[in-house]
Amino acid sequence: MESGKFVIAAQEAEAMAKTAGVATLKELLPLLVPTALRLARPPISNYPVGAVGLGISGRIFLGVNLEFPGLPLNHSVHAEQFLVANAAAHGEAGISYIAVSSVPCGHCRQFLQEIRGAGEIQILATSDEDAAFHPLSSLLPHRFGPFDLLHKGIPLILEPHDNDLGSLESAVIAGGGEEVSKGIEKEGIQQRLRAAAGAAAKASHAPYSGCAAGFAVADGEGRVYAGSYMESAAYNPSLGPMQAAMVGYVAACGGVGREHRGWGILAAALVEKESAAVSQEGTARIFLEAVAPGAHLNVYRFRSSASV
Amino acid sequence: MEEKPGRSTVGKFVIEAEEAQAIAKESGVGAVRELLPLLVPAAQRLARPPISNYRVGAVGLGTSGRIFLGVNLEFPGLPLHHSVHAEQFLMANANAHGEPGIRCVAVSSVPCGHCRQFLQEIRGAAEIQILVTSDEDPAFRPLASLLPHPFGPPDLLNRDAPLLLEPHDNELGALEATGVAVGGGGLCNGIGGGGLERRLREAAEGAARSSHAPYSGCAAGFAVADGGGRVYSGSYVESAAYNPSLGPVQAAMVACLAAGGGGGPEGGGWGIVAAALVEKETAAVSHEGTARIFLEAVAPGAHLKVYRFRPSAAV
Repeated sequence: MESGKFVIAAQEAEAMAKTAGVATLKELLPLLVPTALRLARPPISNYPVGAVGLGISGRIFLGVNLEFPGLPLNHSVHAEQFLVANAAAHGEAGISYIAVSSVPCGHCRQFLQEIRGAGEIQILATSDEDAAFHPLSSLLPHRFGPFDLLHKGIPLILEPHDNDLGSLESAVIAGGGEEVSKGIEKEGIQQRLRAAAGAAAKASHAPYSGCAAGFAVADGEGRVYAGSYMESAAYNPSLGPMQAAMVGYVAACGGVGREHRGWGILAAALVEKESAAVSQEGTARIFLEAVAPGAHLNVYRFRSSASV
Repeated sequence: MEEKPGRSTVGKFVIEAEEAQAIAKESGVGAVRELLPLLVPAAQRLARPPISNYRVGAVGLGTSGRIFLGVNLEFPGLPLHHSVHAEQFLMANANAHGEPGIRCVAVSSVPCGHCRQFLQEIRGAAEIQILVTSDEDPAFRPLASLLPHPFGPPDLLNRDAPLLLEPHDNELGALEATGVAVGGGGLCNGIGGGGLERRLREAAEGAARSSHAPYSGCAAGFAVADGGGRVYSGSYVESAAYNPSLGPVQAAMVACLAAGGGGGPEGGGWGIVAAALVEKETAAVSHEGTARIFLEAVAPGAHLKVYRFRPSAAV
């Protein structure tokens, strides 16, 4: 399976636009949707969705849908969520245009509200008869969003977050065989996972619950990928840290190809708040049981100095 | 907005058609649908959102003339996708009572995109009239105006597939009890004079039969019992957009609260002591793990039994 490129640098995007004979970068986006579609992983529905977004930096980001058999459907990642998480992980400050292979569902129209100025994001559905860019506000009029709950100064998705994690206490959850644990210890993978998950938690967007969280996974080559929890004002559309980590994994290398079983994840780490009102721990366990049985999981809980 | 009417509907999640007419008359409104916004504050008081403390109440009028309430539920200690929105509660409540259609809904805050999507599972969703009592100028407007150019069941199913609120009769085949048991083994024997395990199983099985899972083909039902031996069950309700699906565990909690269970507003916890899950063997969409962690957070020590079915037709 091709790993594909999930981030296209600004200069390369310009060059591609020129080659394709389009005048503006936004016109390039729908032309890249078929490429994104081929990278999607929806084994439950077999309904691939590809999304291509233009960041204000001039970079182009891809998003695809991911589905995880053996788990409830709210573990799925929509292409638009993938796109946003991918952009956030690369420090992108804003998204102005998105082309997607099917019209975004209500769950995604809601998730996208977490971006400042969401109403003005231009969306084009390539499946439309008369495909054209329309503002997100026309797809979700009279919206419920962050400012129904937060004041305007709070950072939104794609804006810098620096959550206070206090000190991390480790609580080891046994999982995975002796050999897996030993292998992980030997290569310092445990520390790298912990550091990556901690950084992801620091950057996570959880203004509604105050429960920052980050998750990191390591593959058989010892590479580490992490993802930050991204909360939605409407709660249910929130993107879990495990899902965000899978976005990071797929965006970096496409995950392990079809020739291997499963996702090739050997170990993982979760960083979350102690006695969190919104806790990811149990869900992280069942996620790994389904997606990477035998993977070793360490859970680290922090107690922030500011009481939230 | 002053609460109307009085005590006759306090705590009630279903108001029969005749009573709805009577209350409408007493309240001096012309049509029963004008009664809906007046009932929203009372619905909000029944909400259980301990994470956000943001209460949402929804009141819907069924084609049968009955009125149904919905409230939001939140479960601390779990990810936010375990939450139930008031509009979802309302539909699951109506569904559990065999209501064939909901045409008007009054709600305390504008429905979020997750709910606008979930509501697409109802036939004729575009024409459902929604009134938001927090609006400056509350008025009934069609759902189509809140979710234009929707993604929904017609994109994935053929037109005669049953939708939410329409009869479902999923084939379950033979149920196998798995060895999975959580919580004390002898617990069931002491409750409800024995037979509780069987009642839970039957309730969960019935709920699975009527569940709406046309996208994955993975029918599922969940049942819970409280300390008094009362059993409440809920059917899985799938969304075409996947993530807004209402889990069978959530649907059972809806049934519990709607029936007057759940430990009451002053009581801590939900008072659940035992549960049963019925789902498909090697299901692409499985609720077993989630049910375990849900009970760990919401009813630690509750006994869980899981039953898997193997349908004869390959799905």
